[in-house]
Amino acid sequence: MTQPMNFSRRGFLVSGTALAALGAFSGSAFSQSEKVFRLGALNSITGIGGPYGPYMLEAIKIAVAEVNDAGGAAGRKFQLFAEDDQTKPEAAVLAVKKLIEINKVEAVVGIWPSSVGLATMPITNEANLITMNTCGAPEMLTENKKGLAWMFQASNAIFGSAFAEVARQRGFKRPAVMAFNNSTFVGQANHFKESWEAKGGKVSAFVIYEPNQSSYRTELSRVLATKPDVISLSAYRPDATIILKEWCQSGQDCKFIMPGWTANEDLVKALGKEATEGIISISNVAASQSPAYKRFAAAFKKVANREPDIFAAQSYDMVITLALAIEATGASADVLAINGKIPSITSGNGQAVTSFTEGRDALRNGKPVNYNGASSRLDFGKHGETVPDFGVFDIQDGNLVLKETIPGHTPA
Amino acid sequence: MDWLSVANAAINGIVIGMLLALPALAITLVFGIARFPNAATGDYMTLGAYTTVASQAFLGGSVVTSVFGAMSVTALVSLFFYFWVFRALAERSQVARLIASIGVAFAVRSTITFFAGQDQHVVDVPLVRAWNFGGIRLLPTDLYILTTALTALVIVFCIMHLTPTGRRMRAIADNAELAAASGIRSKRVMIFLWSLTGAFCGLGGALLGIKAVVVPELGWELLMPMFAGVILGGIGSPVGAVLGIVTFSIAQEVASLFAGPPYKIVFAFVILLCVLLLRPQGMFGRPMAAR
Repeated sequence: MTQPMNFSRRGFLVSGTALAALGAFSGSAFSQSEKVFRLGALNSITGIGGPYGPYMLEAIKIAVAEVNDAGGAAGRKFQLFAEDDQTKPEAAVLAVKKLIEINKVEAVVGIWPSSVGLATMPITNEANLITMNTCGAPEMLTENKKGLAWMFQASNAIFGSAFAEVARQRGFKRPAVMAFNNSTFVGQANHFKESWEAKGGKVSAFVIYEPNQSSYRTELSRVLATKPDVISLSAYRPDATIILKEWCQSGQDCKFIMPGWTANEDLVKALGKEATEGIISISNVAASQSPAYKRFAAAFKKVANREPDIFAAQSYDMVITLALAIEATGASADVLAINGKIPSITSGNGQAVTSFTEGRDALRNGKPVNYNGASSRLDFGKHGETVPDFGVFDIQDGNLVLKETIPGHTPA
Repeated sequence: MDWLSVANAAINGIVIGMLLALPALAITLVFGIARFPNAATGDYMTLGAYTTVASQAFLGGSVVTSVFGAMSVTALVSLFFYFWVFRALAERSQVARLIASIGVAFAVRSTITFFAGQDQHVVDVPLVRAWNFGGIRLLPTDLYILTTALTALVIVFCIMHLTPTGRRMRAIADNAELAAASGIRSKRVMIFLWSLTGAFCGLGGALLGIKAVVVPELGWELLMPMFAGVILGGIGSPVGAVLGIVTFSIAQEVASLFAGPPYKIVFAFVILLCVLLLRPQGMFGRPMAAR
């Protein structure tokens, strides 16, 4: 028998390699006779993104079907190739290389975590591909050197400042910060701290925690020991569930400000009304009254049996935006020309449209259009970022109640 | 750093460590008797957690019956994979069986996510406030978890040391050929081993599900700390596995007070490193090369 230590090390190596080799294989083969647009979907199906990624892929499929049923964009039908990035940059790099080199995609949509967005951007930039994501790390804007990346979710620089603004308006004096250790949430936490301290205040505790733990009690105690009156909690749903459970059990009184993609009805379902009462939830104002959202939500409910979340709505918008840009440039246009059209079909004084067919018909009549999506009005800033309005919601008796709307603005 | 936070962190470490001691013991028993590191251990835990959720959702009933249900289901699944996979590979190399167990892990997890989806689930237990003893916080839930884990561990150690089955298990772990030559039928021991490890993983997963949230990666993510704990205690030593994983967990929690949470796992591994430098066989392991 060999040395046990050697053996275990080997075991880990083997399991690591086996894991790395794992990837989902998908993609459909259909006739190549008509001109197609090869679209890659890179979603976080497994891993920490599991609560969101599968629905984003559903949303992309709904949008692809909508465009294809209408005869395609400028006559080009979308051919979808889907990959799972496991919410891990290493797996994402392999997946995106496969999409580019084997599937020869022309755009990659549905990237969810900033870690994946930042890891894949050099590769997609090198290959001159359009990418559309929901990444919120502030670095996404500076890394978007070729202007090929489009952020459908507001930057966390804006989110963090909005959190601080709300905390101040609500009269809190001793905020503490707790954040999941990734580029998105550390960015959010840093901007909260910066904008709180810029107006002369102090953050009582600043704790970045490691994900995938079965308890966050030690981290939480460290924050609660400083007796904050509010905690800016930048977390995803699984870790937020554990932290709030442990907070509730601790019996200490304090409020929470959280991003809306975590603090929502699903969180209430997981924790019950008592532990979630009074949480302040901040998110892009979902364009819940817009015709685009209503139509998408109806289609989404048929397949997923639930309301779409903000990321699903953003994923739907990615495909429709891309389709309208292709329509506007024409069937023979290359990727760079299509990319150049994205700002002009989403903002400006063109006719406001809320669906692909509506936009296509206007474009065919030679009119400029402005697509207002299911997730927001979709006006892109100069770095490819959306600047939506923020809604401030309170969770009251298990329901999200809109308290006020803060107009979005780009950070200085 | 005041002693209260250190005490609270240590308590937290003990609870997590005792909870993980159940699957860690399963790893070390399989390693000692079936002679390979079972990478499916984590996903057996996941199965236990999901079974608890499912039995609560579909059958109703109390948490206790759900946990017993989870233990039985996981034990059956563990037996099933023994008969289907590990028995057939019994004569193959350790690496072959390790890879097979990774395959089993994926099979278990994918089957779960096929039915339950990727979204998180929670075991429905009422939230209760912690007892506060002059700053030292104790959670009633944690106390139940601790008691359950301790009871289970005591039972298994009694079985190991006081019953004929336990003696046979130890004999096979000591020297499989000699045990066979003395007329010990290994098949019966194996069936017992796999049901026991399955039940233990199921229990560990169910308790973890009660404490945290139930996600598909619940058990898989814990494989690394569990293996580290087992190595720290000495591979193949049941007492070592329990003390190893508890030490590892306490080290993690206490270190996070001093070094900041992102570095806590690093500190736990530093302790592992120091122990292995002084005692390469682990805290309770016997030097295997000497045999």
